[in-house]
Amino acid sequence: MMSITEMEIIMLQVEHLSCGYGGPLIIKDVSFQVKEGEKLCILGPNGCGKTTLLRALACLLPSDGRMELLGSSLRAIPSRQRAQKLALMSQFSPAAFDYTVYETVMLGRYAHQESGLLKGESKSDRRIVEESLRLTGTWDLRERLVTRLSGGQLQRVFLARTFAQEPQAILLDEPTNHLDLRYQVELIESLKTWAAQGGRCVVGVLHDMNLALSFADTMLLLNHGQVQSCSKLEDFDLSLLDKLYDMDVRGHMVASLQRWLSSGD
Amino acid sequence: MKYHAKMIVLLFAALAVLLLGIGIGSVYVAPGDILAVIANHFFGTPLPEALPASYPAMVLNMRLPRVILAFLTGAALAMSGTVTQSILQNPLASPFGLGISSGAALGAAIVIISGLSAAGLGAFLLPGVSLGFALLTMFLVILISSRLDRGVSNITIILVGTVFSLFCNAIMNLMASSTPAYGERVQLWLLGSFSMKEWNAVCVLAIATVLGLIFFLFYARELDVMTFGEDSARAMGVDLLKIKRILLAAIAVLTGAAVAFVGVIGFVDLIAPHIVRRWFGAAHKKVLPASALFGGTFLVLCDLAARTLLPAREIPIGAITALLGAPFFLYIFFAGKKNR
Repeated sequence: MMSITEMEIIMLQVEHLSCGYGGPLIIKDVSFQVKEGEKLCILGPNGCGKTTLLRALACLLPSDGRMELLGSSLRAIPSRQRAQKLALMSQFSPAAFDYTVYETVMLGRYAHQESGLLKGESKSDRRIVEESLRLTGTWDLRERLVTRLSGGQLQRVFLARTFAQEPQAILLDEPTNHLDLRYQVELIESLKTWAAQGGRCVVGVLHDMNLALSFADTMLLLNHGQVQSCSKLEDFDLSLLDKLYDMDVRGHMVASLQRWLSSGD
Repeated sequence: MKYHAKMIVLLFAALAVLLLGIGIGSVYVAPGDILAVIANHFFGTPLPEALPASYPAMVLNMRLPRVILAFLTGAALAMSGTVTQSILQNPLASPFGLGISSGAALGAAIVIISGLSAAGLGAFLLPGVSLGFALLTMFLVILISSRLDRGVSNITIILVGTVFSLFCNAIMNLMASSTPAYGERVQLWLLGSFSMKEWNAVCVLAIATVLGLIFFLFYARELDVMTFGEDSARAMGVDLLKIKRILLAAIAVLTGAAVAFVGVIGFVDLIAPHIVRRWFGAAHKKVLPASALFGGTFLVLCDLAARTLLPAREIPIGAITALLGAPFFLYIFFAGKKNR
């Protein structure tokens, strides 16, 4: 077992990352690494800096410290090249303009396409868009307008667009918020399938603890902008959550489980 | 209907409206005669025998420049409106709201009130100063927005633009009311007019509009990506700050040029993008050319109404665009809603 673990490739390496919005630091000296195929979930109470950390990783915020994807600094590369390696899937937000689903997913190819007046989409662009649509179950929606989709459908389309970007790493910023349970589970399953296909990894903020536990290989607990613990799921001590959220998380979960169990009788 | 078919329909509608615009006036000139006069001018083909001798000069020197200027203005404003709404991700945004039009108008008012426009300093002084003020306003809006907010977010730009717009208007009204002799001219100029325009103005605006269309089309894909939000655009690889700045500058040049020559004409920039998106979808490589055609056609029709609705008087074009535009917009909007 040890030898296999040692052979695993480190994809994302974060060391001494700090950042803020000009005032006091929101993220303080955060370090962690994500290996190939790994899915890391960041958990923490409201205001602990989860989204800020994710935005810093996406280079949407200036930050200090090292952030490398497969050995190259994320900050140093031009935005277009960075987008070929790293994608961000955000919280649900409604679409404002009447693009078709197909057009929307094709926009994910932006970073791979040459800019210019008459540069069209290539055959491989179209193939990748089709694959992404099929992987997320949105192929049949391709002619529909994104302004007329339900929240769950639209978020799947945005996931397809993220896949079409062909990144090595996907950052998730609470992508399942405001979605029905079924769509939450579907979205997470699609991401699991995606991450399992070699040379890929996912770093995500998921608000729902149960969803996070069913998705992640590694749990990173963040409190007041600092890493409180970072451990493999099999070594993860659930009682740490009690302290992190300042409540009896286990008791709450067990109580709700009891309700479900008793309704089955 | 496919995109190309829709584009051809729009193109024919535009040509028909252009011919109508040239033909209707104090005397009616038939479309065939108009085409004959144009062909005679450019290719030396013979004129129809029955055509009155005064017609060629009237068509070429009075009606044609006016109608083409109206078309170009509409095209420039509609394109600017489309791009503004996309960059700011706000369907209610328009170049007017960014302070560009008010800045241009303030520049024009300064020239009119100082009496320089009457001093024979050339027909290009007023448009030149006006365009300069449009660019200056946009520059200040971006500069102040960047000072207030490092990321220069859309909401900051809209807010600063609105403040500038109101501020420029206030100064202009103050100037106009303190110099009653010129005040009326300022007010008239503000409502816009295509009358008494030379071919020079048409040429300048034609160059600006064509270059503007090509420039915007060059960034069509970036514009598409930007409509989905600033963070997501950046994460998808768009160099957002840089592209936002150059596109806003291009909008200022295009709107500024249009306003500088014909005055403040509202509504086209706001409604044309909405109507065009309903027909053509949202992708900019389709919406931009279609906006230009639709905006141009719409303004030629408005100008036609402006000079024919009241006998022997011209209604300010700005009043017509709103008068025709508002109900048309509501019709398109609610007709579309029903199909949802």
